[in-house]
Amino acid sequence: MSTDVNPQREVTRLCIQCGLFLLQHGAESALVEELSSRLGVALGMDSVESSISANAIVLSTIKDNQCLTTTRKNSDRGINMHVVTEVQHIVILAEHKLLDHKDVLKRFEHIKPLRYPRWLVVLMVGLSCGCFCKLNSGGWDGAMVAFLASSVAMYVRLVLTSHHLHPQINFCITAFVATTISGLLIAKGPFAMTSNIAMAASVLLLVPGFPLINAVADMFKGHVNTGLARWAMASLLTLATCIGVVMAMSLWGLKGWE
Amino acid sequence: MGVIDFLLALLQDMTLAAIPAAGFALVFNVPQRALPYCALLGAIGHGSRMAMMTAGMNIEWSTFIASLLVGSIGIQWSRWYLAHPKVFTVAAVIPMFPGISAYTAMISAVKLSHFGYTEDLMIQLLTNFLKASFIVGALSIGLSIPGLWLYRKRPRV
Repeated sequence: MSTDVNPQREVTRLCIQCGLFLLQHGAESALVEELSSRLGVALGMDSVESSISANAIVLSTIKDNQCLTTTRKNSDRGINMHVVTEVQHIVILAEHKLLDHKDVLKRFEHIKPLRYPRWLVVLMVGLSCGCFCKLNSGGWDGAMVAFLASSVAMYVRLVLTSHHLHPQINFCITAFVATTISGLLIAKGPFAMTSNIAMAASVLLLVPGFPLINAVADMFKGHVNTGLARWAMASLLTLATCIGVVMAMSLWGLKGWE
Repeated sequence: MGVIDFLLALLQDMTLAAIPAAGFALVFNVPQRALPYCALLGAIGHGSRMAMMTAGMNIEWSTFIASLLVGSIGIQWSRWYLAHPKVFTVAAVIPMFPGISAYTAMISAVKLSHFGYTEDLMIQLLTNFLKASFIVGALSIGLSIPGLWLYRKRPRV
């Protein structure tokens, strides 16, 4: 394969790689469309048209009435704003003519998703759920319960994620663990006077906030099909979480949190 | 409630909101340099919502205006950080997210199918579901509007 024969082919590959990076790491559809087309125009195409669906992306570049179309399958890699930022920086550099298409390819190959250390994420998410409990008037003892339960749950979630378990099953197991710990601490443990809000707060780490916000933003900006797909995915995750919670409640005979 | 009491409560509210904003920014793998701004923006958003709710507005409208504020500040910051505003703003609105309502609605639905129809469960399901949906819509549209409004023609960053 010679690279010099058809630069349009190279640029098409780069554009769809750019779109795929963004889609896999949780950017909204408007951004995927905007950045892949800006990259193509910056690298000399006349225009770039793309069609985005939930699990694939189709993209055409047009130059001198010559079209090239390509398709890639999309698999979700988890939300990673670091990758989105890196791709955006590369596109801006290409727009200012600081990178040509070979440099862009080299930079794309060097993108490594940032991962924060596991203990830090566990600690901060535990503290977050403690704060949620306090914000929802659950008291400081409730915050302590939520902190303990959600730290353990977050650790379980990260371990299961690193084994590539199916997300819904992962959320169900994590919710079961969180409800079990917080519920037993309140019902049988030393926190008998604590408000039941702590049980609700300890599963808040599983709320699919980013997909839901992206879903509404997508639909609001006209990408109805990706928006509906994100909404359905987020609802399934919430349902899986609730099944985990209800399983734990009925297994240990716990009361609800109203 | 005196002014001092209100300010102390507001300060506590903002501190408590800053921690989840930073915590969820870690889950979303926001770049390190942007983390303090996520926390600050989360505190501003939740604090302004609390101030508006104390002044007597209902939760949906105050959420909408707070997320408009977060979205506008996020666009300003995104221009010098050269990143999409969502990098900061989504983590910042997570403390305002109606998680407990969403779970209560879904658990009521599961209980309805387990134990049969009762009016209490149905009321709980409907009110919590509507509340959660409207707050999510307010958050998301509030974040999107500043970008669509101020930068219709040229790209934001």
